[in-house]
Amino acid sequence: MSSSYVPGLEGVVASQTAISMVDGENGRLVYQGYVIADLAEQMSFEEVAFLLWEGRLPNRSELDALSLELTNHRTLTQAANVTLDALPMDTDPMDVLRSVVSVQSVEHKLAKPTVPLAIHATASFPTILAMFFRRQNGLAPLKPRADLGHAANYLYMMNGKEASPEIVRALNTYLVLLADHGMNASTFTARVIASTESDLGSSLVGAIGALKGPAHGGAPSAVIEQLEIIGAADDAEKHMREMRRRKEKFMGFGHRVYRVYDPRAKILKEMCRRMNPKFYELAERVEEIALRILHEEHPERPQSTNVEFYSAGVLQAIGLPKEYFTPTFAAARVAGWSAHVLEQAGHNRIIRPQSEYIGPEPRKPIPLGERS
Amino acid sequence: MADFSPGLEGVVAAETAVSEVDGANGRLIYRGGYLIEDLVPVVSYEEVAYLLWNGELPNEKELDALRQQMASARALNKSARGTLTAMDPATDPMDTLRTVVSAQGAAKSLMKPTLEEAVALTAVFPTIVGAIQRRRQGKEIVEPRADLGHSANLLWMMTGEEPSAEKVHWVDSYLVLLADHGLNASTFAARVVASTGSDLTSCVVGAIATLKGPAHGGATLAARTMLDKIGSADNAEKWLTEAHARHERFSGFGHRVYRTYDPRAKILREMAQSANPELAKTAGRTEEVALRILHEAHPDRPNATNVDFWASVVLTGAGIPKELFTTIFATSRVAGWTAHVLESMSDLRLIRPASRWVGPQPGKKPLQLTKR
Repeated sequence: MSSSYVPGLEGVVASQTAISMVDGENGRLVYQGYVIADLAEQMSFEEVAFLLWEGRLPNRSELDALSLELTNHRTLTQAANVTLDALPMDTDPMDVLRSVVSVQSVEHKLAKPTVPLAIHATASFPTILAMFFRRQNGLAPLKPRADLGHAANYLYMMNGKEASPEIVRALNTYLVLLADHGMNASTFTARVIASTESDLGSSLVGAIGALKGPAHGGAPSAVIEQLEIIGAADDAEKHMREMRRRKEKFMGFGHRVYRVYDPRAKILKEMCRRMNPKFYELAERVEEIALRILHEEHPERPQSTNVEFYSAGVLQAIGLPKEYFTPTFAAARVAGWSAHVLEQAGHNRIIRPQSEYIGPEPRKPIPLGERS
Repeated sequence: MADFSPGLEGVVAAETAVSEVDGANGRLIYRGGYLIEDLVPVVSYEEVAYLLWNGELPNEKELDALRQQMASARALNKSARGTLTAMDPATDPMDTLRTVVSAQGAAKSLMKPTLEEAVALTAVFPTIVGAIQRRRQGKEIVEPRADLGHSANLLWMMTGEEPSAEKVHWVDSYLVLLADHGLNASTFAARVVASTGSDLTSCVVGAIATLKGPAHGGATLAARTMLDKIGSADNAEKWLTEAHARHERFSGFGHRVYRTYDPRAKILREMAQSANPELAKTAGRTEEVALRILHEAHPDRPNATNVDFWASVVLTGAGIPKELFTTIFATSRVAGWTAHVLESMSDLRLIRPASRWVGPQPGKKPLQLTKR
């Protein structure tokens, strides 16, 4: 009953889900029935996290209860604090996040994934990132502020001062936009882990490891680095054509699912235009050239600016250092990861595909002394 | 779009030469084409690790070089030591392993997986597992011994005593038998993480997280726990009949791939008779009764004793406490995980399956908070 090998499992349905749908044909991202454009600038991250976990938007008292539970779990355990301090100052923040989330979520006895555990994990991500950021910069750690929402508290714990409402709104929108995205590689990792009946912390740690890869979440900082190089060139187009001759990739382009403009990129592009005009001016020019060159190379492929391209400009305008772009992506996606783990645990079957053996036919081993 | 196959059963997700599970004929083939029953009597764990990584068994010189390389990579770095000592000794051993491996591999910048790193990671597992056991007992951590092989050093670090040749043989055989097993869930998780371009530590941490689940690596502990409940050969009939009437699953039975007796279970069953005759007697009677009950209930299903069942007896005989079984499994499988990741590097393609939407019809408009 084994089917033939599908590289990258492209087009293979690995799960049924009611959490989010990426409608690549029509350029729609849907969370529990709501189109992302209807949520992005109207809802708080907390409301969207509730939506992903519970399948519906919260009413006022449910939202208050969730906010309280989140603020009550913004501190780290003692072991997590020690781990955070034991890691070298120049550690990749994604490795810090992977390690500290791992220690923060340890248990004595295997626990089933629950919504409260998802809330606690989600609450801890900004604290871990902000504490490490401040340590790297020789700044004293700050206590979380219970009077601030999720996005505002993250920025406060990083910077030691309250961010402007515009900046808080922008980060909130970013977190909402990135909170879930169908069966992406890190979410799929989380579900594979959950499928063995492992715990929620294990799923999240695995997902962080997957998100770290440049083919997934690890590229937004590379967008900025590439734009800086192109921006410094006398002739951007000439430089970019040379890059392609050297087989270099344009960062922030290409997606397996969308056939039309990524709806998240559209919203982020507009935010970027408002908030980061300098970045926008260069980015828009580079986007136009990149799409033109990519179209010349592969006219059959669709237009492909992805979410990372303009999110780099938005996160920069928010004031986050580029090493914290991917970790901030994780701070958004943790809501989706944990929602998927809860869903997987609800109708579980171990995810155990097959492989096709391409090695030699069976033969006998030669004893050690006789091997050449 | 393809049909949904729950658990990706029967879906080919990778091509591999690292190992092949030939379920129809009850054969496990390791890289190079060697049958597991041909390898166990003649090779050490280090030789099998070399085989899985390099595609051929080492000669004496190559084996010496690998042993030296592993012996010199057994120490924990400062981050890992700091993390380990911060953790409550009563923490689930798999959580400690996951966290300490994550800290040990925390790096400044993203590195492509290398063979050297695979060797170093594999070498450090016994150090962590040994320390976990010593801390659980409230004893001092034992330093690694460069004059001992992988398995002997593992037992040395757990007990602080030089192990008998027999115990080393049982543990080493177990490590050889469990080192790889096709595209099992943890190996698949490692390959999904690798497919994003992430680092080797992230892959291995994700695999540990997956192995922790009772439906995967946790099954050895579950088998031993069931044998403890049964208590004696005389009680097997009564206990299993009652458990079956309560619709309890028998631990140590059932596997998705094998249609005949698992070849690893066969070898371990034999070894169990000398490793722990008393427990082997209980296990033997348990197996007999369990298979009879299962056959009566499902005459269509194949004979189904799995590797976990007899592994639990052999590991007990080697003096390993059952709470550490899954970490010993991981200590073996890390060779396979890293071999799969290294293999996938040659043709890296993002593993990103699709999902099927089963949620509400897209496009419903969100209500304002006050109207919910």
